[in-house]
Amino acid sequence: MGKATVIPFGPQHPVLPEPLHLDLVVEDEKVVEAIPQIGFVHRGLEKLVETKDYNQFVYVAERICGICAMGHSLGYAETVEQLMGVEVPKRAQYLRVIWHELSRIHSHILWLGLAADAFGFESMFMHCWRLRERVLTLFEKTTGGRVILSVVCVGGVVRDIDDAQMAEVISVLEGITDEYLQIMNTLISDYSVKNRTVGVGYLSHEDALELSMVGPFARASNVNYDVRQFGKGAYGDLSDFQPILSNEGDCYGRVVVRCKEVLQSIDIIKELAAKMPAGDIAVPVKGAPAADAEACNVLEQPRGECYYYARGNGSKYLERMRMRTPTSQNIAGMVKALDGCDFADVNMIVLTIDPCISCTER
Amino acid sequence: MTSFKLGGMTFGSLFKKPETCQYPAEKKEAPVGLRGHIVIDEDKCILCGICQKACPCDAINVDRKGRIWAIYSFHCILCDSCVRACPRQALSTSPDLKSVTTGKFESVSFIPDPKVDKA
Amino acid sequence: MKYTTQFTTIPADSLSETVAACKQRQWRYVQTLAVNGEEGIDLIYSFMDMATGLLENYKVEKLAKGTHMPSITGDFLEAFVWENEIHDLFGINFDGIAIDFHGAFYALATPEPMTVISPAQKAAREKAAKVAAAKAAKEAKAKVGQGAAADDMEAKLAGMDPEKAAKVRAAMEVKAAKAEKEEK
Repeated sequence: MGKATVIPFGPQHPVLPEPLHLDLVVEDEKVVEAIPQIGFVHRGLEKLVETKDYNQFVYVAERICGICAMGHSLGYAETVEQLMGVEVPKRAQYLRVIWHELSRIHSHILWLGLAADAFGFESMFMHCWRLRERVLTLFEKTTGGRVILSVVCVGGVVRDIDDAQMAEVISVLEGITDEYLQIMNTLISDYSVKNRTVGVGYLSHEDALELSMVGPFARASNVNYDVRQFGKGAYGDLSDFQPILSNEGDCYGRVVVRCKEVLQSIDIIKELAAKMPAGDIAVPVKGAPAADAEACNVLEQPRGECYYYARGNGSKYLERMRMRTPTSQNIAGMVKALDGCDFADVNMIVLTIDPCISCTER
Repeated sequence: MTSFKLGGMTFGSLFKKPETCQYPAEKKEAPVGLRGHIVIDEDKCILCGICQKACPCDAINVDRKGRIWAIYSFHCILCDSCVRACPRQALSTSPDLKSVTTGKFESVSFIPDPKVDKA
Repeated sequence: MKYTTQFTTIPADSLSETVAACKQRQWRYVQTLAVNGEEGIDLIYSFMDMATGLLENYKVEKLAKGTHMPSITGDFLEAFVWENEIHDLFGINFDGIAIDFHGAFYALATPEPMTVISPAQKAAREKAAKVAAAKAAKEAKAKVGQGAAADDMEAKLAGMDPEKAAKVRAAMEVKAAKAEKEEK
């Protein structure tokens, strides 16, 4: 019987993209309990709706998080459009989804690099981020910014991708695919990677349902839920969309799910680029949301389902804007997965929920 | 005995061109649409102040009496709201990124009065 | 599976039974949020029916600051994040949270900051209320059948700030006086 020690993890830690603090109660190298604490990057962004009108708030919503920037601006714009009854043109919907899927590719490749770094495979980290550079260059050419895109507005998008640029996007993605398949093969079938991830942080299907987990974290435990299957916006025009599931339930399953989602996103972009309709890229939006009008919206961000809520009060400032991000939903799942694990596996388990704490705290 | 799966990519990295460049000796060419900094065309500006109202960060200051248009680039987030809102298309975004400075300052432009010049 | 949303208002004391019923029907818990309304704080609990794609939002309306509400972490553990956050930002107390931070979840300079109404927000709300009142008055007058042009101007003046409105009124009087003079 060992003595219990409390070891603090974070908020500064090389494996964490954002600050998160855990108090790990450890007995003889096994973690008995983990108590999370967040609040290091709380900026009170939801209160800024009071001073920025509903058009200007898109730029605040983008800057909630650097990795999910496109997702938040898209979800915010869709919610306000629903609140005011605005119908976005088809071409704008297609463009938004293409940028959002590119954002998903860049986020997953970033995560694969971090996951490899979490158990010490630094050269894989470098290769993943090298491929990610190509996606960021695509963003720069099509939107003008590498990380913060500023391309969504309420009513549509502000820039168009013409045919030449679209052909370039497709050719860059095909160039990435060849090297990406080598990386994926290494991550999925390499002996050392399997040694560090199989059986680590196991959560069963029942646990995942009980803790209402979302995103690839839940899909690795065979929870069949992905907002994209509802077919909203341009997702409804896809010929077939099946969420990628895995039966494993451990860190290895989560790595596999995210690896395959990158390939799925590349296929989605190619399909939508071929079907892109001509037309306007935005409709002008005038007036203000009606008093006491409410709207809610869900969106599949790279980390899971994100819920948006907006309420108007008659003026051009919204009464309330709320973003519930997927990581906050998954914190309880992370705490459960940390129960009984080895102390050396804490890095990997904390990283497999894809923590985006800036989104959680806003 | 397991194989070195990343061997192909590692070996190729010895000969392939790197993704990065030797900055600042060589600079990457800025693509056309890059958001670098806001530029005003003084001849087109009519000092209406719509850009000042559209800016989400209060970076633009329009002084109608003094005929001055000023932008505080250290607050500007390059959202292009002012560029889209201007009724005379006097503002545009240049792809050049500004270099670092040691002090913060406002960029002031004097707008000439077309009536005065013609007279 | 089709995605639909719905907003339903429920009384505050039926919250625990509603949530327990959702758990029994195996609905997925989505989130809890609070809104600082004019007459009190509204809480909105969202659940999704995984079989049909219905996103149901239960609203508990107009709670005063400091009200005690039962915690739902007994049924849904992951709600502890939201309940701690709402306690810190809005001031609603939840009894029996599984992981309770007792007000130390976020380190804030002002207690309950989301209930503080800034002057800019207050001005915007008052302006919107004035415009809405003028519009309602105009519609009532139009039903009686009076001139529409004068009422249009009145509605616009009601929405402007008082200084500007006074200037516009003065300009209108000058214009009217000039028109009279020309007629003579």
